[in-house]
Amino acid sequence: MIQYTDKIREIAGRLLKDGTVEVFIGYRKGTVPMMNEPVLIRDPDQVDTLHWDVNCGLNLCNYLTRRTEKIGILATGCNSRNIVTHIIENQIKREQLYIVGIPCTGMVDHRAVKRAVGGKEILSAEQQGEKLIVKGADFEKTFEIKEILQSNCAVCRHRNPVEVDEMVADPVPEQEGVEPYKDVESVEGMEPRKKWEFFTRLISRCLRCYACRNACPLCYCPTCFVDESRPQWVGKSNDPTDTMTFHFLRAYHCAGRCTDCGACERVCPVGISMRQFTKKLNKDAEELFSWEAGLTLEQRPPLDVYRPDDYNDFIK
Amino acid sequence: MANKVFSKDAWLEALGGLKEHYRVFLPLKDGDFFTYKPIEEAKKIHFDYDNTRLSPKGLIFPQSERMFEFSLDTQDPEANILKEAPKDDSPRAIVGVRPCDAHAVGLVRRNFDNPEYRDPWWVKHVEAATYVGLGCNAPCATCFCKSVGGGPFNEEGLDAMMVDLGDRFLVRALTEKGEEFLSRVQGGEAADEEVLKEARELAQKVTDEMPDTVPTGRLKDLPVMALFEAPFWEEVAFACLNCGTCTYLCPTCWCFDIQDEVYKTEGIRLRNWDSCMFPLFTLHGSGHNPRDQKFQRVRQRFMHKLKYYVDKYGDGVQCSGCGRCVQFCPVNIDIRRVCGLMDAYEPGA
Amino acid sequence: MKNLLEHIGIEPGRLHFSWISSAEATKFVDVANQVYEAVKEVGPAQVFIKRLAEVA
Repeated sequence: MIQYTDKIREIAGRLLKDGTVEVFIGYRKGTVPMMNEPVLIRDPDQVDTLHWDVNCGLNLCNYLTRRTEKIGILATGCNSRNIVTHIIENQIKREQLYIVGIPCTGMVDHRAVKRAVGGKEILSAEQQGEKLIVKGADFEKTFEIKEILQSNCAVCRHRNPVEVDEMVADPVPEQEGVEPYKDVESVEGMEPRKKWEFFTRLISRCLRCYACRNACPLCYCPTCFVDESRPQWVGKSNDPTDTMTFHFLRAYHCAGRCTDCGACERVCPVGISMRQFTKKLNKDAEELFSWEAGLTLEQRPPLDVYRPDDYNDFIK
Repeated sequence: MANKVFSKDAWLEALGGLKEHYRVFLPLKDGDFFTYKPIEEAKKIHFDYDNTRLSPKGLIFPQSERMFEFSLDTQDPEANILKEAPKDDSPRAIVGVRPCDAHAVGLVRRNFDNPEYRDPWWVKHVEAATYVGLGCNAPCATCFCKSVGGGPFNEEGLDAMMVDLGDRFLVRALTEKGEEFLSRVQGGEAADEEVLKEARELAQKVTDEMPDTVPTGRLKDLPVMALFEAPFWEEVAFACLNCGTCTYLCPTCWCFDIQDEVYKTEGIRLRNWDSCMFPLFTLHGSGHNPRDQKFQRVRQRFMHKLKYYVDKYGDGVQCSGCGRCVQFCPVNIDIRRVCGLMDAYEPGA
Repeated sequence: MKNLLEHIGIEPGRLHFSWISSAEATKFVDVANQVYEAVKEVGPAQVFIKRLAEVA
């Protein structure tokens, strides 16, 4: 990904210098392994801090909300779909953006790597082509990146950005034959009681830190329902019912909008797989409305429009 | 003070035998990470963690804790009277605490137990607890306890300290509570001078080799307003998601919010961890929010830990260097870097 | 909403949606009866019920 990094710096420098954009949003190399930090650059002399590798799994679209400048932004497939969603939902204007597209082959699941080295402390994790070389105090292990992808990346069908002004490289081939909803189907096959147990266990470690909500570019409400106090929709303690209410409603607010970018799971400090909620909605959106979020600026989302042939089996 | 040496198996067995005297909590594997749990839930005990994902602060300052209970039943003569919620303050032993987390208890004490205010529940929970530490033979790269007044074998805040000597644990009592704990532990033998020397040398070696990487020396002399108005806050805060990961994982964050909840005619008043990262934290009843910008909230967190606390108590920063926020901040905002920026700041330069 | 609730373990038959005009009295009665029968069938809810917070 050294090539991408160099190219990104070159593009960002050019855009900032010629005034195409006032700020550029990308990543800089993190201070701990497998963590990079989103960064905003104004000065063309600072583009050398920009960095790209397989640890850029957050969603930069999150940083667009309520900005007023002309912005250059990096966008992988999923990030670009969120930018499209942001534009459709009037959170940013297309003219404000210069989208630098990144053909993406997936981001590394930092938890899977840590698990694979027996939970030992990782002192460095460097990408070399298709491999990730991980070193600790008393071990060195080389991973094939495609074996340690984030689970959303492993089933990704839109690796190339859908809306761009410029690409850093030629598009990569899309993955064929992925089964994105296998895990959802296995839950669908359960009895109601088992489903409840599954989701209760899933969120049992939740701290209500709201990292999942805040990492999500779809969550831009000025006041989230969990923060409302008049009326107070949901309790603020770590009571399991309140926690379930939070997760359920957070997910529901993403219906027909989620691009399965995986930022929610990536940021969770206790490793909750909250995509199990949103993926069900994505599956429904696809099966019932033939809809995948953020693929085009030309079409309104299904929950935004009425069509006489809309799915309505649920209504009497 | 007493010292005992145990083979590792004997130590695990001894901990299992403490049931009549203590509720024993220790770091147990919970999925991908370690978390403090009662020993009854242990399938196998490993003392091979770097540290627990959440600090042990939740054992004495639970994320959500009932303070009072009340009735809203109009027939009840005691309706609307707050009654203290019952608590279990029977003796508990928290075993395997890393020195940074014990050091943190002392830092938090200044808030919960001082001449002006005394938080009865925090104080009682701490009084009921015996902290048995585990020295760090291999501090993580993200650890910086040594830079903030602690160290990998720092004894402050601990009642007893375990030292891992390969196939054995040396357990040394450090306070009366620790002495009592050790007297109740079955088995083991008194440590001879050779073992003590081995442990001392190990502690010295690890402490000496640990880098002292985070500068804090200038913080107390820098003018508070200059730091407050320093130009780097917006850049520091850019990536922040304003989630509560740093504050909830932190052993020294003590803020809480009080809520009343009612079901039918029963009610409880509870307190929940709160986070200065949340906009709601400072939202006034009027609708005004003095910290409605993200950078203000991020600045507050760092200024509180690294400046206001320093100025108020004159005894260092409100950080024990455990490195949890460094490791688990989802966007890699690194307190070591921020502390460096603050410490090196030249007002007016 | 219904699908997601049922996905996390709320029994089918507990949540109902209908659109009934103020002029459709007969439909209203029919739907109310259907809802009553369906909910009676699944019995009292066992999950997703908030009482007093279950906390320390």
